[in-house]
Amino acid sequence: MRSESIPKISKELCSRMLTDLENARRPILEAVKCSLDNSNYNPKVGYLTPGDKKVRTELNVSSVQKMSRAIFLLEVLLRNIDTGAVNTKRELYYIAKGEVKHDPHLKPLDFQDQSESDAVIDFICEMLECYREDLNCYANDRGGQTYSNQLVVTETLPDGTKAIVDLGSLGTSPFQPKNRPQSLQLKAKKKIDFCLVVESEGTANTFVANGFCKRNNAILIGAQGVPSNAVRGWAKLIQDQLKVPIYFFGDLDAYTIQNIYRTLKAGSAASLIRNSDFSAPDVHFLGVLPEDIKKYDLSDYPVKETDVSEARALKKAADALKNDPFFQDKRNKHLSKLLEWLLKNKRRCEQQAFFMVDPRDPTMPEKIIVEKIKKGIYI
Amino acid sequence: MAKDKITSSSTAEYFSKNLQQVGFSSPTKAVLTTLKEAVDNSLDACEEQGILPEISVQIEKLGAGTLKNTDLIRIKVEDNGPGLSLEDVPKVFGEYLASSKFGRGRCSRGQQGIGISAATTWAQLTSAKGVTVVTKTKTMRQPVQVQVAVDIKHNKGVLKDKKEGKLKGPHGLSVEFIIDGRIQLQGEGGLITYLTGTALVNPHLTLHYTLPEQKVVTITRVSNESPDVPEATEPHPHTMKLGEFIAHSHLFGRMALKAWLKKGFSRISDNSLAEFVKNGLDKKTLDMSVDKVSESQFKDIFSVIHKTELMSPSTKSVMTIGEESFSKSVRRLGEVDFFSVVTRKPSICDYKPVAVEVAVARLKGLTKGEGTEDGPVQVLRFANRVPLQFDKSACAMVKAIESVNWRAYGLQQPKDSLPLGPYVIAVSLVSPFIKFKNASKETIDASDELVEELRRTLIQAGQRLSRHIKKEHREQDLENKLRYIEQFCPILVDCLCRITKAPDKRKKKATEGLEKILGRDLTVAKKEFKEADLAAKEAAAKGKIQIIKEESAEAAPEESVSETEVVEKKTKPKSKPATKPKTKGPASKEKSAS
Repeated sequence: MRSESIPKISKELCSRMLTDLENARRPILEAVKCSLDNSNYNPKVGYLTPGDKKVRTELNVSSVQKMSRAIFLLEVLLRNIDTGAVNTKRELYYIAKGEVKHDPHLKPLDFQDQSESDAVIDFICEMLECYREDLNCYANDRGGQTYSNQLVVTETLPDGTKAIVDLGSLGTSPFQPKNRPQSLQLKAKKKIDFCLVVESEGTANTFVANGFCKRNNAILIGAQGVPSNAVRGWAKLIQDQLKVPIYFFGDLDAYTIQNIYRTLKAGSAASLIRNSDFSAPDVHFLGVLPEDIKKYDLSDYPVKETDVSEARALKKAADALKNDPFFQDKRNKHLSKLLEWLLKNKRRCEQQAFFMVDPRDPTMPEKIIVEKIKKGIYI
Repeated sequence: MAKDKITSSSTAEYFSKNLQQVGFSSPTKAVLTTLKEAVDNSLDACEEQGILPEISVQIEKLGAGTLKNTDLIRIKVEDNGPGLSLEDVPKVFGEYLASSKFGRGRCSRGQQGIGISAATTWAQLTSAKGVTVVTKTKTMRQPVQVQVAVDIKHNKGVLKDKKEGKLKGPHGLSVEFIIDGRIQLQGEGGLITYLTGTALVNPHLTLHYTLPEQKVVTITRVSNESPDVPEATEPHPHTMKLGEFIAHSHLFGRMALKAWLKKGFSRISDNSLAEFVKNGLDKKTLDMSVDKVSESQFKDIFSVIHKTELMSPSTKSVMTIGEESFSKSVRRLGEVDFFSVVTRKPSICDYKPVAVEVAVARLKGLTKGEGTEDGPVQVLRFANRVPLQFDKSACAMVKAIESVNWRAYGLQQPKDSLPLGPYVIAVSLVSPFIKFKNASKETIDASDELVEELRRTLIQAGQRLSRHIKKEHREQDLENKLRYIEQFCPILVDCLCRITKAPDKRKKKATEGLEKILGRDLTVAKKEFKEADLAAKEAAAKGKIQIIKEESAEAAPEESVSETEVVEKKTKPKSKPATKPKTKGPASKEKSAS
């Protein structure tokens, strides 16, 4: 959905609510249920899509506060769309507080902390089935630092002018995509062989500094952990516009497979309504793979089950095998086997372990990666 | 081979070097333990003779103590008990392990005869003076004052400076310790916590106390019945281990096994003997003489007895406060809003008879610390009617409280923690053999059986309390709903009209429609409140919960309240809606009508 259609849909929604009230009928707000139990996965589509389940909020004494807050914030967001102003969620929280301050009549709506206003914004998005960027509410840009000597990006600015960025002219500086990269046009100056998404931003920087982009006709992206909307949208754009193979290189552990890689490839349950634009279904898992540990004699170590976050990751991985339609699909059986291997062996190996193969050759990890791509050693 | 000569030490020598084991591990604890030992002894003595105890406590600072960071403190406790003969005074105050209660299987406060002698030793070690005792029995013409010191080498009490003394009553005992210590009034180890706790579980006690820089406080008794001191009954067979069982037989000499079982144990009757036979005991064995029974036969008999269900130990063997007296006493805790009290039937836990009593009360007016709106509840623990004040977290009682789901009864509770709110949960455990974790009797060992028994009592008290709390929640819910209608109706309609640019006519109609919708919800809320109110009233009428009228909570503690008496509060309940609706409108009218 685009910003232009949001005012119209919002007005229709409000008008329906008003008519219901006039007739002493309880208005009902419906939103897509964004959870795993309402997620479908079709390998032909390639990402998690919402099921039929809806969260219905019927007006009653208990929900009147939630509904009033939703309509109040919707009015603020519509004003932003109208004037072209953009805000972050935090700014919207303070804008809402400011409105309350200037009109004591609105005091009952006051938000005690940002989590309350954030939840209302998410509810509006789910109700209108739009991204929050469509409501001119942007998150901080994070991750997605991109390096390439072949890629040229053309950005269409709000005033219609175009900005052209040749990534090859940026030296060692990266290009960072915005949270809504759909307004970017990509072009390759020369044939691009592949795109490599590296989980660790630091390792991606090391590759660039060691001349990865000089030796390879490639796009190199640093994901910086769990991929942000920017990284996810950007990977999707590269996949669709350049049609180059994309490989993900990260740690061999439950969190990376189940959370980071799955989100990049098929989106997440929390973002069901925007997975279509924010997932790259063709991305492959390049490693670290269990066979890499054996082949290159990599140093791995046991999962600390006493560590809360590691124990939680294992538990979530076990849940994913049981409940996540992505891992349950037979086309992804290699990935689910990988998760099973991790759960069974309770070992993990970090991406940086490739640096131990030949400690005196800083380009050894790059050589292994290129070899793995050539030989097709990935999932 | 060791060159050093092996020597023996007296019990007094051992304890004088290890006073920390019996409650003298810090200056603060020293004051509390000394007071506690003196008061416990007074209460035990009064109860033995059926005297209603009246105890005066005076504690004052005399100057700096000899130890670093301590004060020199005078602790004086005077009672109206039977007094002690001069012959017994050195044994009681100056000799370790001299006790009239050791191993008798009674629910007395003191057991081993260590505590008060340890207090004398502490006084002797820190102020070079023992304890000053004034005593008068009915047969003595004048009160006699003596000073008792502990002869540490020989574990004997030594009397000094005998002279004529003064006492308030016709008989009684007064003890005065001058010790190094530090005074802590409030909190877990505070003197006031101890004194009010003691009053709570001893409804028949009148207590006067004077603490430094404080006025004299009198807590008057609410029960005129001196508790029946439990008779030392024969042991219950389920409370014994095999070794004890066999040893017990040696006390009876030559007699038939069945006669021994009936005479030497409680709760074994002819019917029980028949049950034993049914459960596999050879009838002929029952006619054998006890001294002829072999060890393997004892083993079989013991196992059959344990397989057979017997009546619970006699309630006479454990001493309880009773729901009625406990109810009266709870009101002495402070400004009590409402409370519930439960006394469970005695049962066997870990082979010992135990009786558990619980009171849960909501207090008013607490502003800081435990028992406030946001803080954890205040827990008062009692073992054989003595407050336990240290090492709370390891205690079976706290473990039991934490294991109960108080959220089901309307209290807030973080996971596996004490519930929150302005409540006092008083748990009293009475048993002739309480398993303490240490000699200073500060915390009760948490066995699974005991925790379960405590838990059941707490659940019962929680269930009783919940009826009133639910009513309050419903009332608060009703008020919230009224407030929501008043506050959000105009905002929602205004916003919708602004977005759709609707005319005033639509706005008015939508407002009316919205009020109509929410009014229906209100009717449901009112009905729910009425039902909850009725349930709470029924519970109160059955005496399961007591709601204190605002004025009567502040009234003199002597005022007695019968178990079934319920005085409904006329003012608003303690629920505190964040803001009350002040605007006028149809909803306000509806509320006043309700």
